[in-house]
Amino acid sequence: MRTRKLIAALAFASASMLAAAAHADNYEIDGQHAWVTFTIKHGIYGIAHGQFDGVKGSIVMDKADIAKSSVKAELNVSTIHTAFDQRDSDLKGPDFFNAAEFPTISFESTKVEKVDDKTGKVTGNLTISGVSKEVTLDVKLLNEAQAPWDATLTKAAFSATGKVSTADFPMAKAADGFGLGPEVEIAIDIEAVKK
Amino acid sequence: MSAVLGNPMVTTAALPLLLGIALALAVRFALPAASPAPTLLWAVLLLFFYWDTLGPPVMPPVAASQKLIYLAFTGIVIGLAPERVSGRATSFLAVIAVAAAFLWLGWRRLAGGSLDLQIVAAMAVGLLTLIGVAMLIAQQGLQSSSIEEPFLAPAAVLALSLSGAIVSVLGASIVTGQLLGSLAALVGGWCLMQYLTTLRGGAAVSWSKGVEFLLLFAAVTVLIQVALLAPKANPAALVLSSLSPLFAVFMHGRLQSLLPGARPLRPLVAGILIAAPAILAIVTAIVWAPRGAALGFS
Repeated sequence: MRTRKLIAALAFASASMLAAAAHADNYEIDGQHAWVTFTIKHGIYGIAHGQFDGVKGSIVMDKADIAKSSVKAELNVSTIHTAFDQRDSDLKGPDFFNAAEFPTISFESTKVEKVDDKTGKVTGNLTISGVSKEVTLDVKLLNEAQAPWDATLTKAAFSATGKVSTADFPMAKAADGFGLGPEVEIAIDIEAVKK
Repeated sequence: MSAVLGNPMVTTAALPLLLGIALALAVRFALPAASPAPTLLWAVLLLFFYWDTLGPPVMPPVAASQKLIYLAFTGIVIGLAPERVSGRATSFLAVIAVAAAFLWLGWRRLAGGSLDLQIVAAMAVGLLTLIGVAMLIAQQGLQSSSIEEPFLAPAAVLALSLSGAIVSVLGASIVTGQLLGSLAALVGGWCLMQYLTTLRGGAAVSWSKGVEFLLLFAAVTVLIQVALLAPKANPAALVLSSLSPLFAVFMHGRLQSLLPGARPLRPLVAGILIAAPAILAIVTAIVWAPRGAALGFS
């Protein structure tokens, strides 16, 4: 009798876990529809804008238990652009993003919290120039839907915002506000394709 | 006061120049030349400018810029030790130290595997400075009474640092430019006082092998970092900047026979000849600088 109960309990637990796993959807970031932009103070004057292209990464979205969701993303530093070629090449230099030594910026989530049905907070390690710092992004799920022209294509779209300080990373001239810096506001809009 | 000290022109040029002058005066009038005190004072000043420019040391160092202060400290440790180590042993140590510094600073870049012009230039800078430092260190062990002899190694450090600073800033690597600029001003202050002493008929104070090593090693490692990691720095100018220690080696004992009657002029002529590749480096970097040079982010 006991054995039967144990088997039934195990079966129930397994079924629950499978059901939960079934809620976790895997997405791949669509680099063609990804805008990782930032604003940064320009000297004593205004605000400079910039963007990274070439975003790669994956998202696991668990709607049943949002805490089980995760994000991994990588940016290619050499894709930075700020509407001025020379500033772009300077930003890739050793005093800022140091692209020759660290060609990528990465983000890997460590905690995902639900705020309401469409919004949440994603905390993770942002790694710039080999140094990782914890950053929290406010994330909004904009939409998740099948493409009207392709029944096999399902995409989700997210917006995220956050703040980082260049002083947390080995970016000497951004950290001391030499021309640009030190505080950076990040705004991300991405679409991701369901796998 | 803090605004004055926060001004990069003060900390990169004026302050180190004054401290170089003060150090020369201290060594001349207050410190026993044979003691390790002058070496320690150079070491303290060097670390002060590293700290001021790069910030406090980070443990463990990840980026090459975070490794520079540890390399300077290694140079100081070696520099404080080798008075007992002579000739070839010191040169051998210099070869090992420069080669290890090159690999440590550049391993991420070298592991990337691409053999572009920047890497070729960086390897040339590493090799030329390695040979130059090793030969210069070995040579300073020789006894010489010529008036320009105490100026050879300082002129090499001054020329390499000054040209390296300008090439670095024009190559959009401001921090290394500031660091090399501080070194150039510090050694410049020292050279100025030594030359004034010579003009007044006195004898200039020679650097100990320890001081020579720690300052050469510091300047060379920063130049190597610029060569490895500042993609906009002019490769030809970097290679030219690295030649000054070798030129200093070739000056050894040459001017005595060439300018036998012009004693006070000999340190100046030696300095100009040692600085010749550095001057060419500066001209090259300015002429072929990217439009507006490193001002793109301002």
